[in-house]
Amino acid sequence: MELSPRLFTLLLMLLEWTRPGLPSPLRPICDLRVLKHFIEEARDAQAAMLTCKEGCGLPEPVTVPQTKVDFSVWERKNALEQAHEVQSGLWLLNQAIGSLRASVTNTALHSHIDNSLINIFRIGKVLRSLNIQECTPPAGEVSRGEETWRVSSASELLQVHVNFLRGKLQLLLSNAPVCH
Amino acid sequence: MTNNNLNKLLAFCVLFCAQKTSIVHALETKVALLLHAEPEIPKCFAEGLSDLTCFWEEDEERAGSADQYSFRYTYQNENSSECAVTALPAAGGKRLYFCRLSQTPCFVPLDIRVFRDDLLIHNRSLFIELVFLLDPPANLTLTSTGTQGQLKASWLPPSLKYMGDSMMYEVSYAMAGSHIGKVEEVQASSELILRGLQSGTKYKVRIRIKLDGISYSGYWSAWTDPVLMETMPGDLDPLIVSLSLIISLVLTLLSLIVLMSHRRFLLKKIWPIIPTPESKFQGLFKVYGGDFQEWLGHSTGGLWLRPAYFYSEEFPAPLEVLSEVSLGPALPSSALPPKASEALGEEEDEDKKLKRVDSALMEGWRETPQEHWPMDQLRAIHQHPAPWTQSSLLESHDAYVTLNAQNHSGEEPLDDILEETLPLQVLFASGRTSSESRSDLGSFQQSSGSGCLSSQSSFEYPNHTWPPKGPGYTYMAVADSGVSMDYSPISSNKIDDIGKGVIYTNEYKNEIPAHRRPIGTPIHFAF
Repeated sequence: MELSPRLFTLLLMLLEWTRPGLPSPLRPICDLRVLKHFIEEARDAQAAMLTCKEGCGLPEPVTVPQTKVDFSVWERKNALEQAHEVQSGLWLLNQAIGSLRASVTNTALHSHIDNSLINIFRIGKVLRSLNIQECTPPAGEVSRGEETWRVSSASELLQVHVNFLRGKLQLLLSNAPVCH
Repeated sequence: MTNNNLNKLLAFCVLFCAQKTSIVHALETKVALLLHAEPEIPKCFAEGLSDLTCFWEEDEERAGSADQYSFRYTYQNENSSECAVTALPAAGGKRLYFCRLSQTPCFVPLDIRVFRDDLLIHNRSLFIELVFLLDPPANLTLTSTGTQGQLKASWLPPSLKYMGDSMMYEVSYAMAGSHIGKVEEVQASSELILRGLQSGTKYKVRIRIKLDGISYSGYWSAWTDPVLMETMPGDLDPLIVSLSLIISLVLTLLSLIVLMSHRRFLLKKIWPIIPTPESKFQGLFKVYGGDFQEWLGHSTGGLWLRPAYFYSEEFPAPLEVLSEVSLGPALPSSALPPKASEALGEEEDEDKKLKRVDSALMEGWRETPQEHWPMDQLRAIHQHPAPWTQSSLLESHDAYVTLNAQNHSGEEPLDDILEETLPLQVLFASGRTSSESRSDLGSFQQSSGSGCLSSQSSFEYPNHTWPPKGPGYTYMAVADSGVSMDYSPISSNKIDDIGKGVIYTNEYKNEIPAHRRPIGTPIHFAF
């Protein structure tokens, strides 16, 4: 009976150390040189795809986000809408490039495609560091008229990838409230 | 009121015109830039976030009207649209056709097609965010940083949203009046410190802008108008002054060390030591005070033989040269009979000295084989009393010297001897007259020392009127080879004959007369 308060205290201390919960928030990544690096690697993948003649085609058209940015329209959207637009676009790209990876037989392109997929994952981490939550479209909703379109060639897909990173993602990161 | 309105209208018009002019001027500048920088046609540039200007040029003679052309553009996944074409005249007989789009989206490919009378003449695909041609930065200002050799350049970046981090500047600076300058690049900043400038110099600075090419790209803008500013005047940096002092001190120390280590060499060159004979005459000056006779008498190591020519000039006794006899063969460089020279240099009792001289000379003559030469010559003269000038043995510059056994001035101070104004004065005949010889004799007589001998020179008696002195006098024939002098006694009866000849005096002044005497001409001393 005398041991129970002590044991209880010890237990609390142990629980304090091994407290289960959310991981500590990431330090915000505001340096745009990170994005510059992702964009350059995406450009390298696009350039490599242009030289491919065989074994580098998409089996079927894939859905990709729109990259067009009308500044007046973009400014009218709020931060949440902008974040959602970027996150959903990234999700679509991830899916599309994933399917491309499965269909490309040209081994020289494999490294580029793998790099692109890794960079999309890293971008997600950067967005999380800026408190921009992930946003995946609901299941079943594959295409949304204005925001997406379909591409049938690998080069088009990778071009969309580059333009998306340069455009919407860059706008979102450069105007993140955490960094100002 | 009407006037007021008119004035306002006029001002508005002026301003509008001015603005239009500046706009047109800016457009012209950009057109010129793109014509140079962009190879594709049509040439397009964006000035802001939502505009695009495209143009192409045609030669005047082939150009059509503006409505002949149609400018069609298509964004990705959209329908094509058409833009109204305007024409403007250009320099060099060209015509420019413009099309200006607004509300242009970015990050999407744009296809442009130009038709002339439904005929495709130009085709191009571009991204609008990659063809930015911005206006030059405004308000370029130069200020001093307070540090020497520095200037701070600051400017106003273009007010474009979302592109601030992508703006890249190029600052060009050069000395006013110079065409060679430097260029520095700076990114996403509105000021730059120029370093390494010369103090007190005027610099001109200008700047241009371009986007960095990651998300946005374009062409270099036009340069701003140059701004001039003078840097701070040079000032003596205390660090530099102190370092200079330290360096000069170190150099001075080094030079002193070098000088001290080579001082002997330098002293020898700058202040050469006047050689003194002290080392050769041990104790002459320190012990005997320069009294050579006394030193000779007490000098250790016995007879210190010197060459005859050395001692011959230091005879304390007065000596007159009667004649010089030139001998055919060179005389040997034998020294004076050592006893004779020693005897002549002494300051003892005059009689003793005279006798000693006499005997020494006699001995010397007996010893040396060359002693007979003058005698032989004189005998020859005696036997053949031909004129002197015709004598093969005796030349015109022969001289005879008499040594008198008189004490001219026994109280002559030693200084005279020390000063080495020798009693022996011999002048060479060549070029000298008897009058000269007389004067020399005069000086000679004054400077006669305390020697017990006196002498007369045959030069006193011109025209060959040398009177023989009589039996009390001994005559010596001196043969001087230029290196040494040989003495030989001459009998007085023979001197009578010799006296008829040309007589010369020679002057000795404590110098080795060899260099002044014609070599090979002997001097005869008679006493």
